[in-house]
Formats: sequence, structure tokens, C-alpha cells
Amino acid sequence: MSLLQRLRRSPWLTPLALGLWGWLLLWSRLSGRLDLLLNAAFHAVVTVAGAVLMLLALIQLRGARRRRGGPVPLGVLLSLGVALLMLAFPPAPSFSDLAANRQDSLPEAPQLSFFLPPEQRTLTEWVRLLRSQPDPDLHAGDPLQISGFVLARPGEPAQLARLTVRCCLADATPAGLPVDWPEGSDPVPDQWLEIKGTMTVQDRNGVPTNVVKPASIKVIPRPERPLEP
Amino acid sequence: MTRASTAWAIFQGLLIEALPFLLLGVAIAGIARWLVPQSAWARRLPRNAVLAPIVGALLGFALPACECGNVPVARRLLASGAPLGTGFGFLFAAPVLNPIVLASTWAAFPDKTWLLWARPLGAFLIALALSMLLGLLAESRLLAPALLEERRLTQPLSRVGLLERGSGLVGGSAPVPERPTSVERLRPGELLGHSTREFLNLLTLLVLGSALAAVVQTWLPRSWLLALGSAPTLSVIALMLLALVLSVCSSVDAFLALGFAAQVTPGALLAFLLLGPVVDLKLAGLFTVLLTPRAIGITAVAASLLVLLIGQWVNFLQL
Repeated sequence: MSLLQRLRRSPWLTPLALGLWGWLLLWSRLSGRLDLLLNAAFHAVVTVAGAVLMLLALIQLRGARRRRGGPVPLGVLLSLGVALLMLAFPPAPSFSDLAANRQDSLPEAPQLSFFLPPEQRTLTEWVRLLRSQPDPDLHAGDPLQISGFVLARPGEPAQLARLTVRCCLADATPAGLPVDWPEGSDPVPDQWLEIKGTMTVQDRNGVPTNVVKPASIKVIPRPERPLEP
Repeated sequence: MTRASTAWAIFQGLLIEALPFLLLGVAIAGIARWLVPQSAWARRLPRNAVLAPIVGALLGFALPACECGNVPVARRLLASGAPLGTGFGFLFAAPVLNPIVLASTWAAFPDKTWLLWARPLGAFLIALALSMLLGLLAESRLLAPALLEERRLTQPLSRVGLLERGSGLVGGSAPVPERPTSVERLRPGELLGHSTREFLNLLTLLVLGSALAAVVQTWLPRSWLLALGSAPTLSVIALMLLALVLSVCSSVDAFLALGFAAQVTPGALLAFLLLGPVVDLKLAGLFTVLLTPRAIGITAVAASLLVLLIGQWVNFLQL
């Protein structure tokens, strides 16, 4: 009997697969991986599913010694391998790549929050505000402090952007603001920056547009919760 | 290389988001199997070609699950001997005709009242049409072999073809069909073991579907699809392709559609909300536990044509 056949006949394989998937879900919650993959609304569901799978694994483990049956389908081995790979290689998406394939069609805010003072607004809140009140002069001179990643698109000046997510990374939608980058600065795509400055109005392609004028630019690590609802 | 790591992250996002719903679906199917012994469903469900899918579609209100979770429930229905129409009516309509999805559609589009009735009505009509179309095929050409075998155990002998019975006398009168009488309820341990195996089998298919969706999403620019947005027919086709590729759960697809609702025609918007719950890349693997490859192909083509027609009609009426 080959090793593969012996492995597929092992009574420990099913509890191992269940336990590994359960642990993957729980670990994704504990390690903050979910913050990078899903909207927060789904975190509790994933955690409960992880706990249920761990419980099922324990129940299956109890009766494993006495269990007799045919070989486990090959697919179970495949899914077990995938779970191991997912544990070994955490996600490290390029936010620019994710944004490059998407329209800038930002979903509506889940709640009204743009009445916050200008310097307390997040980048996404700024974008929503500018779309709901498109007169650029209304916001000229407002102070701001925002953070995001550098979004470079071919043929366009780099923007500072965030990704919003309703479900998971599959529906990530970029929200970006044009920035008047200082002379000589060369923003690196995907780099996370915090910008303090003011909102100005500049002529871009013949259209008055709100543009961020930085007073200071600081490189920051990727935030723990890089996605916004 | 960065594209590969982005695809890897999208794959993980899709899979981890869908996995709890798959587990929920298997749990619902398991509980249903335990509470109602094998084939007791079938005796109570109407077999009429029109009534059966209607009952199946309405079951979505009692067993709310998205399109990943409802595959195991539909499989359990069919394996228990429920009429084909009921199983397919549930499979195709329940991802939309359930309280969670209807509430999320209302939350995303409170100002588009036409969408609040057009989406459930469209889903219902598609489920009805697909169920009647698939009902024209013989069960042996329609259902996956393992499901077919399990289903035959709960069918009266007279409903199984002579060559498929594996026993009987040629030329003799057909045996009087014996309805299964009292079937013993599964012990909790057996039920748990069965549900576990079912979950792991479906998980493998979900892994393959999510991988396919992540690869296509990463390397196919979405802007190509949305660039077609304003032309009436092309916009419907573009959004149908987008629904196919994105493979987002039906409980949240309305919020996603909100993002591009202003840029596309109303027919295209409805097409996105109707096709995704019935056909998408993530489901491609899961459907193989229910249907033969040929039946999956027929389902995909028929559903696409129906959605295209509905989308065109909505654009024509300018809702």
C-alpha cells in the first residue's frame, strides 16, 4: 500500500482537516488577518465557524480509533494542503494592484460622518464629502490630516488612496485624493503615508479640482485595519 | 509576483468569507435530515411541474442561506426524494428569496423601489424557468451520479427505469410501488459523520472555485467590463460577466452594486443582482455535487439568456 493510500485510510485525517480549517479561521481573527481580508461585519461569523469546526474536530477525534471506513477522498487531502499553505503564507496584497482593476465608484457611507471637523476626517470621508458637495471652493483652505497608500495609475499623477470593502477583498473599491506632491518627491506605489496639510483648489485638465497640499509627509507602516467600510 | 500575491489574498478573502456560509448550509441540511426522516419530505411536497418549483423557491424564506450554503440544502432535498422542481426551485431562487438578501437589497437601494420587487420577481421567474427546463432532461442525464444513486434509494421502484433497477423480471408486471414506511432516524454520531464528510467534499470544490475567481479577477481588468456600461445591451452583458467573475455572496452583492449603480443602465444593475446568485465561478465546483457537466452548461446558458432578456426588457421600459 502506497504512502498516499495509507494516508487516505488514516482515521486521523478527517479530524485533522477539520481542526486545521477551524484553527485557520480562529487564527485569522486572532492575528488580525481578517482585518486585511474582510469587512468587519463578517468577523464574528468567521470566528463562530472556526470554533464550530474545532469542536467538530474534537468530537471526530474521540471516535477516530474505532472508526473503520473507506479512504478519504483525495480532495480532502488537497483542502488540507491549502489550509497549511494559507497558514504558512499570509496574504500580502498590493493595494495598488487591487485598486488598478477597479472603478472609483465608492459606495455610500454606512453612516453620515462628514460633519466631523476637517482635520478629523479620514481620507474616505473626504472623498465622500467632495462627491456629495462638488463645489471645490467650499473646502479650500480646510486643514487635513489623512493617511493612505500611494496609488499610481498609468498616465495620471499618483494619488493618496484607501480601499473600501463591503464583503471581502474581491469587491475592494479605491477612494483616492489628488496630491500636489512637493518638488523632487517621488512617491513609491503601495507605500503608506500620513499627510498633514490643507485642501486647495487647482486647475487639473481645465477643471477646478480639490487637491491636497502637504505641509508634512511621513512614511507610516500599514495600519492594522487598512480597509474601510 | 505582486499580482500573484494579490490573487492569493483575494483567494483567501473569498474562501474565508464563504466558508461559514457553507458550514451553515451543511448544518441546515443535517438538521433537516435529522428532524424529518429520509423521504418524509417527498410525500408532502407537490409534484406538479409548476407548483413544485414554487414551493422550492418559497422554502428560501424558511431556510435562509446564500448561494454557497444552499447547495448542500438543495442536495439534501433531492437526495431525500423531493421533486426535482422543488430542489431546483430552491437552488436557484433561495439565494435571493430569503429575508437576509431582501433586507440587504432594501438597505442598499431604498430609493429604487422598482428594484425591491423586480429582483425577487426576476429570481422567482428564472428559478421557475430553469426548473421546468431541467425537468425535461432524464434524471440520469441531469443529476450527478452519486446524488442519483442516493436519490434512487428513496424512490418507489416504479419510478426507476427497468435498466436502472439492477434487478427484476423482463416481461413481468411491474412490482407494486412500495412507499418507504417508517425510516429510522439517523443516530447523532452517524449524522455528524455524514455532515462532516459532506462539508469537506464541498469545501474542496469551494477552494477550486475561489481559486478560479481570484485568478480571473486579478488578471482580467474590471475596467474593460465597466467601460461598456452605458450601452443598453452591452452594459447588461458586461455586468453579467462581472457577476460571474466577482463571485460575491448574494447577501452583500447589493452593497457592491451600489458602487457602480449610477454608471450603468437599470437593466444591467438588475442583471448583476440576478445572475450572480445563480451562476458564478465560485459555484462552478459546488454545482458538480448536484448536476452533470452537461446540466451545469445548460443551466449557465439558459440563466444567462433569461437574465439578458430581463435586463433588456427593464432597459426598454426605462424603469
